[in-house]
Amino acid sequence: MLRTTAMLALAAGIIGNAASAQEITLWSHWADQASKVEFVENAAKAYEEANPGVTINISWYQKEPLYAALKTALTAAQGPDIFYAESDQTEYMQNDLVLDLSDKLNWDNIEPWATEVWGYEGGVYGFPLEAWTVETYVNNAVMAENGIEIPVAGMEGQAFVDAVQKIADAGTTPLAQGVGDRPYPGAFLTHEILVKKLGTDDYRSLLKGEGVAWSDSRVKEALDYAKQIIDASAFPASFSSIKLGEAHRYFHTSPGAAMLQMGSFYPSRAFAAPDEGGQPDGFDLGIVNGPIPDGAACPECKTIAVGGSFVVNASSENADLAAGFLNSMATPEMGNAWLEANLVGTGIKSDASKITGENADYFQKLAAANEGAKYTFGIPVQQMQGTPRETFTQVINQAFPAGLIGVDEAISMMESAY
Amino acid sequence: MQRTLSPSGLRMAALLMFIAIYTAYSAGPFVWVAMMSLRTTTEISAAPYALPETLHFWKFASAWTESNYDTYFFNSVTIVFSAVAILTIVGGMAAHCFARYRFRFKGLIYLLIFSTIIFPPQVTVIGLFQIMVEYGLYNSRVGLVMVYVAIQMPVTIYILESFFARIPKDLFDAARIDGYSEWAIFWRISLPVALPAISTTIILNTILLWNEFLYAVVLITEDDKRTLPLGVLRFLGDQLEDVGMIATGLMIAIVPVVLIYVFFSERLIQGMTAGAVK
Amino acid sequence: MTASTQPATVATPPRKERDHANPRSAIATFLFPALLIYAAFTALPVMRTIYNSTHLIVPNKPAEWVGFTHYIELWNDNIFWKAVGNTLTWATVAPLMEVSIATILALALYAKVPFSRFLRVAWFTPVLMSYVVVGILWMWIYNYDWGAVNSFLRWIGLDGWAQPWLGHPDTALPALIAVTTWMWTGFNMVVILAAMSSLPSEVLEAAELDNCGWFGKLWFVILPLIRPTLLNLIVLSFIGKMKIFDLVWVTTQGNPLWATETVSTYVYKRAFQWSTFDLGYPSTIAVVWFVIVMAGVLALTRLFRQKDKLEY
Repeated sequence: MLRTTAMLALAAGIIGNAASAQEITLWSHWADQASKVEFVENAAKAYEEANPGVTINISWYQKEPLYAALKTALTAAQGPDIFYAESDQTEYMQNDLVLDLSDKLNWDNIEPWATEVWGYEGGVYGFPLEAWTVETYVNNAVMAENGIEIPVAGMEGQAFVDAVQKIADAGTTPLAQGVGDRPYPGAFLTHEILVKKLGTDDYRSLLKGEGVAWSDSRVKEALDYAKQIIDASAFPASFSSIKLGEAHRYFHTSPGAAMLQMGSFYPSRAFAAPDEGGQPDGFDLGIVNGPIPDGAACPECKTIAVGGSFVVNASSENADLAAGFLNSMATPEMGNAWLEANLVGTGIKSDASKITGENADYFQKLAAANEGAKYTFGIPVQQMQGTPRETFTQVINQAFPAGLIGVDEAISMMESAY
Repeated sequence: MQRTLSPSGLRMAALLMFIAIYTAYSAGPFVWVAMMSLRTTTEISAAPYALPETLHFWKFASAWTESNYDTYFFNSVTIVFSAVAILTIVGGMAAHCFARYRFRFKGLIYLLIFSTIIFPPQVTVIGLFQIMVEYGLYNSRVGLVMVYVAIQMPVTIYILESFFARIPKDLFDAARIDGYSEWAIFWRISLPVALPAISTTIILNTILLWNEFLYAVVLITEDDKRTLPLGVLRFLGDQLEDVGMIATGLMIAIVPVVLIYVFFSERLIQGMTAGAVK
Repeated sequence: MTASTQPATVATPPRKERDHANPRSAIATFLFPALLIYAAFTALPVMRTIYNSTHLIVPNKPAEWVGFTHYIELWNDNIFWKAVGNTLTWATVAPLMEVSIATILALALYAKVPFSRFLRVAWFTPVLMSYVVVGILWMWIYNYDWGAVNSFLRWIGLDGWAQPWLGHPDTALPALIAVTTWMWTGFNMVVILAAMSSLPSEVLEAAELDNCGWFGKLWFVILPLIRPTLLNLIVLSFIGKMKIFDLVWVTTQGNPLWATETVSTYVYKRAFQWSTFDLGYPSTIAVVWFVIVMAGVLALTRLFRQKDKLEY
């Protein structure tokens, strides 16, 4: 009965399409990020002009409601033609919900690492629009007041703990952060330490639960170090309820903090006008690398993540048109336009050094912080599934940095989740 | 001279104290959000608990027009109105049937329908989701109306049945002698006589469905079909920092229900207490 | 109360109604729409969920029979048991708080304290609001930096007590229980007041004559008389709390450390947010929970009925 219904629906769809103009539907995150909305809408407009009769109907969401709507809609085989996804969502591939794009997109114009991130069982599934690294943003004014200077390459061992303690004693929050609406930012501190301590290969096998276990002594040392920083009152007291957007504001405006560990998508919120939630005028922003644990296997290691990407619905009746639209964005010109408009990386091949104007300075700082860096691909939630992922969200992302549990407890909870 | 405080005086003082504290706890949040709804976020962050100095009524207009609230409001009104209308007719018919006729398995059928009151919604929601997809009623306002009818049916039948059962039998016998058909008896005698009970169920169902969230969030994905509770939540996401504006959005969702309460408080209380008082 | 003591009335066969008391076609017409809706939107989904619970249900594939593996997995699912614990705590603590506070308030109104009309409205209003609105409002009240609770504590000089109320595993669940108590006490109060008002006045007058004190009158006369109402309210509140979803979803989504995870939110997470897309396992949770709720309600009614021969 289900099959008949589906076939009827399909038949109706085909007949309906032949007769009427074609409409591509797109659901995306970024409702609160004007520059990204503008970028995609301009691309849509250009594609509509180049292909008369095609309209692109875009709905903008917040991330959580988007995911909730997609989960039910896709299960019901009613999703949009194109939708926002991140490379961790392998369940889309597992359940044949998205289309293999390997012969549909011009991959020459996409960075190889971004292609690799979206690879799954021989296919490539996502168009990697956004890419970002985990950076430690610094409020230079606060640092100067406290007489602290963090080197761009990061600060080692006890020195960082002392710096945090000093800032906290002076009555300023050292690290703005909040996990009110995201499953990952609370873990930036711990996991950037972990990747430096373990090196990329061992770090990856720790996350996947293959090989390195959470009970490994190096993991414990890394967590002990993170705990020292946390216990030096690194995070705000309201850490648990602060939302991602609020953490930005907490850092640069009120009440103000010394540092903010954030994806390099930071400018897409912070470089807005001050009354729209952006940084105050004349804010002195620095970019450095985070704390480096003693005995780090790879002090230059850090995380790069493919963020917002577009995928094509496997049951879409307009798959070729949809892929065509994505392809229209896969050009170096569009890559540079993305960088310039959004100030965050992209998986499209682009050249940040070509960017001039008021934000050239920002890109230079970002490049300096990434010089010689060795990357691990994907933040933890992008590499975990099911119960380990849920446990990570509750334990490493929230309870551990909030100071609610100790190192041993955190390790045993993670250990038993795999 | 009298003692300054008798034991019963103490008790009375304690009771009054308790009442004062409870009233602050109970009414405080509402008063607070009402005040914030008329103040701007800048004013609120300067002094979260101050009285409004200038009343910014424009905020209501702006929340209404800029956030798709008109759509959500319209959806809520149509969905709730349709569901309540169907509930009243269909539930009324069933209640009339249970109250007036004897038939086989009556007790069993009644028990089956009534037992759904204690069903945890999650036992229906997953199966319902799958079935709605197959019926083609997923992400549709009609589908949500049918689900709302189904979830409020037991309470409606329960309240109406107990009222119908109290209508004197002579009235029906007289009608039968006058040659009324069974349908005419229901339509022209049961319903009009039971008008108080019916208005009770109408008000009760309206308020409960107006606030419903779980089924709406599972069964509706499209923005243009969302009801007000979903709209409020979306509004919260869009306005992140703008506490003042969110407060205005909350007030828009609260006011209709409070108005219903102000006009129909006695009926409403009767409805909500029906069944609990013996 | 009557059934056990007066078997004679039960034994009497029901008086035969007149012929037209059983017009089959009319019965069918009146009952059909309700039964159809019941079958399509309640009975069928429930059966579907039960069917799901022994299958693996993912999109684009036919359902796969997995026997009772979901049930075994559930038995070992720590998050589920945590959620059960939280929900049961909620469902036992909240009804007692709501009903006991409501009794005191109803009594105050019954004793005609000043402004009683205003008080009744003020106490009852919270129940009119949607959980979404209530959730947002209370998130503000519990906000660490400028929320009402912490502001009040700082104002009276107890700065050290200020907490991120919804952010700490020890306080998050109590904080949410306080919200449901806030919401539902007024409703309970109105019901209790109605029950008190319908008490025969002779009983109270008799108590006056016996020179009972104010407290004695309450404890020995009024409370026993409205006991059935109180027990009904406890059962109602128990059922409501066993279902609780909206409030948690809007405020904490089960955080921190599953301290506020309820069975409903966990089912929703597993069904519509989990990375597996499987609808089978969450259905299993729903079925098991359904059985637990049923058992709870039956046990409560049985318990109360034995003690008080309560009539339903």
